[in-house]
Amino acid sequence: MLQRLIRLLRGTETSSKTAKSRLKLILVQDRLGIDEEVMKELQVEITQVLSRHFTLGEQVEIDLQREEQAMALVANIPITGMKDRKK
Amino acid sequence: MGKIIVTTSGKGGVGKSTSVANIGTALAMLGRSVVVVDADVGLRNLDIIMGLESRVVYTSMNVIDGECELEKALVIDRRVDNLKLLAASQRNNKTDIQPDQMKEICLKLSETHDFVLVDSPAGIEQGFENASSAANSALVVTTPEVSAVRDADRIIGLLQSKDITDLQLIINRLNPELVKRGDMLNQFDVLDILSINLIGIVPEDTDIVGASNRGLPLIYDGTSGAAGAYQRIARRLDGQDVPIPEFRAGSWLGNLMGKILGNN
Repeated sequence: MLQRLIRLLRGTETSSKTAKSRLKLILVQDRLGIDEEVMKELQVEITQVLSRHFTLGEQVEIDLQREEQAMALVANIPITGMKDRKK
Repeated sequence: MGKIIVTTSGKGGVGKSTSVANIGTALAMLGRSVVVVDADVGLRNLDIIMGLESRVVYTSMNVIDGECELEKALVIDRRVDNLKLLAASQRNNKTDIQPDQMKEICLKLSETHDFVLVDSPAGIEQGFENASSAANSALVVTTPEVSAVRDADRIIGLLQSKDITDLQLIINRLNPELVKRGDMLNQFDVLDILSINLIGIVPEDTDIVGASNRGLPLIYDGTSGAAGAYQRIARRLDGQDVPIPEFRAGSWLGNLMGKILGNN
């Protein structure tokens, strides 16, 4: 009971939330056979390319999801505006 | 031709054998002819969970070695009609059987039975290869824990690479109390990650241990939460449309009352 109160005060994430995000991250690597470094590089490069055209809220999130026949690399791109295209 | 279904998980101890024993019995209770096949050579468990261990005379190894006919090796469960067990050899190991040999046995059994349920060992090595050799569909068993889910994901990938695309997920040992406290992944979390069809959720049930102690699968106890779940899974496998109930964390007294009243 006291522990729960402490958790509430701290606003810590539940362990199941942590588990889910850890699993999602590790499964991208397991499924593709690539490690965390490559994933981070991908994330940085995708963010760079997109920020040539958009102003981004935060870093782009990438996730590997299973679909019926194949894997899909899915990106969540928080966009706050368009950038001026220099002509 | 009957359906050949492999029950696998990757991770050990998540409830494959228990699921095969209970679902197999439940299907037989529905009137189907069922053979449950233990593919865990060297570490067999299906016989002891089903309480048939003292009646195993011949195993799949004997059949493959030509020492006896397949029909003779099948142990007939006397508690329900149309349920048989093909036990695994306890003295050999998994490399003593080849996938082709297991495939031949399973195909032969499917000619005369509605369901051939193959209990795969844990792992991704030859035991799994043998168990999945003849399957046209799979039951993937996982618990809502990180290791089990990770291994289940791997096994799903392997099954898909074998063109076994009819994959059904069983989430075993779901504990509504822990889910409520945020200490356990819920079914939506697990499904979001694994992304295959869900065929059933089996709640954590302390009666499971007593059942295997007695060699009497829990399916015979209508009041148990797990029994009800396995019953529903069997019906879905048999083509019936059965909704998945909500599992709520209840009070200790509420759950006790539920058991006494036989709610499920």
